[in-house]
Amino acid sequence: MIRYEIGIVDTRNVIKTLLDDFGYDFRDYALTAFKRRLEYVINSNGLRDADGLVNRLQNNKDFIGQFLHEISPDTTEMFRDPSFWRVLRDEVIPDIARGSANKPRIWVASFDSGEELYSLAIILKELNLLDSVQIYANVFTDKCINRIKSGRLDPKDLETNEANYQRLNGKAQYSSYYTMDGNTMVFDTDLVKNVTFVKQKTTVEDDPGAVKLAIFRNQIIYYNQLLQDKVIQKLTTSLVAGGFLALGIKETLENTNANNKFTVFNDNEKIYKRKTT
Amino acid sequence: MYKAVIIGGSAGSFQVITRILHSLSPNFPLPILLCLHRLKHVRSGFVEALSIKSGIPIIEPFDKDQIKPGRAYLAPANYHMYIELGNKIALSTEDPVNHSRPSIDLSFVTAAQVYREKLIGIILSGANRDGAYGLKKIKDLGGLAIVQDPEECQVKTMTEASLKMTKVDFVYNTNDIIKFLQNIKS
Repeated sequence: MIRYEIGIVDTRNVIKTLLDDFGYDFRDYALTAFKRRLEYVINSNGLRDADGLVNRLQNNKDFIGQFLHEISPDTTEMFRDPSFWRVLRDEVIPDIARGSANKPRIWVASFDSGEELYSLAIILKELNLLDSVQIYANVFTDKCINRIKSGRLDPKDLETNEANYQRLNGKAQYSSYYTMDGNTMVFDTDLVKNVTFVKQKTTVEDDPGAVKLAIFRNQIIYYNQLLQDKVIQKLTTSLVAGGFLALGIKETLENTNANNKFTVFNDNEKIYKRKTT
Repeated sequence: MYKAVIIGGSAGSFQVITRILHSLSPNFPLPILLCLHRLKHVRSGFVEALSIKSGIPIIEPFDKDQIKPGRAYLAPANYHMYIELGNKIALSTEDPVNHSRPSIDLSFVTAAQVYREKLIGIILSGANRDGAYGLKKIKDLGGLAIVQDPEECQVKTMTEASLKMTKVDFVYNTNDIIKFLQNIKS
């Protein structure tokens, strides 16, 4: 249930502290979701209110790492939207793997808690292409890298994830990709052993370049329009001509200013293809 | 004087919603925001089913879509639907609230913060307590709170939870809700 509710003035105050004291710029995050994330961080750390959060940030210099980790929402699901992953497996990945001199670059540009990355790796493994591509993954914190490398994700609902995998018509059993350590699921870390992590500050600033597929699902929903345009611009320049961009199924380039740089590859799954010029 | 109507429903609300939408004329002066519990993995079919008899277009919005009068906006499966300042839809994949995504509480609370006293909130039949807090928030910020008469509901849990938490303005059966909406002038 919703407990403490943060007001707009207090929200701006936290944003100012993050910018002035730490150089992290959250000014162009979508306000409603960002407020909710702040409420979540305040509640989960036993803080009383926004002032409590500001105090904790200023008096405990290590807390910023924890904050950055908690402020971005967990992905929560493996193979979210199975039909998206089917199209990726059956149409997009075969396309980018074809006739490439170098290892094609796939960029999980989302700030993912690991589920998108592992879902992708499982699909590549089932296509026998895991070692034939170079995967880059965006992260905010070392904590996130460690969590992903340890295989100890926290995909919340086993039943949903298993059902998603079945709807995907995968080649194996979902359960063959993890072991249990007590009550904790530990995914097969071999899946991500060749992943290159790209550490970003509060949004997409660095890019690997020459990317053939960028996955950025359910991310621009957390940005306002200014930041949406800026980040999509970054992704656009990083993609090769004919490269693919995947957004969330309820995100659309039509609400950004990059629409004319892409053609629609699959409208239902919101997969776009970078135009040649 | 009102700027939007928001309706929350769950088990037993589909027929009520269908009747309400059927009764509206194409020049209904307000947007209608619909947050209905639905199967998370079934993406298509729901809008189509609701559209068959609806008097106004039903849209399953994309993130940042502009909210316009005379249309109904249905919260998409597996996303929360927020109302943002600037009269826009914002979507979110944050954790379920009250075991629900979309959560009625979240849609109601964010709509209340944007429209304040210019919002009409309606809670229909449903099997959990999602929406009760949201309706209270609408009332607290000066909006109008309506609850479907529990006696008419297929499942009373949601309406009874709402009535327990908030001193609502009206307890209406479906016909009264329809009459009320039809009398709204721009």
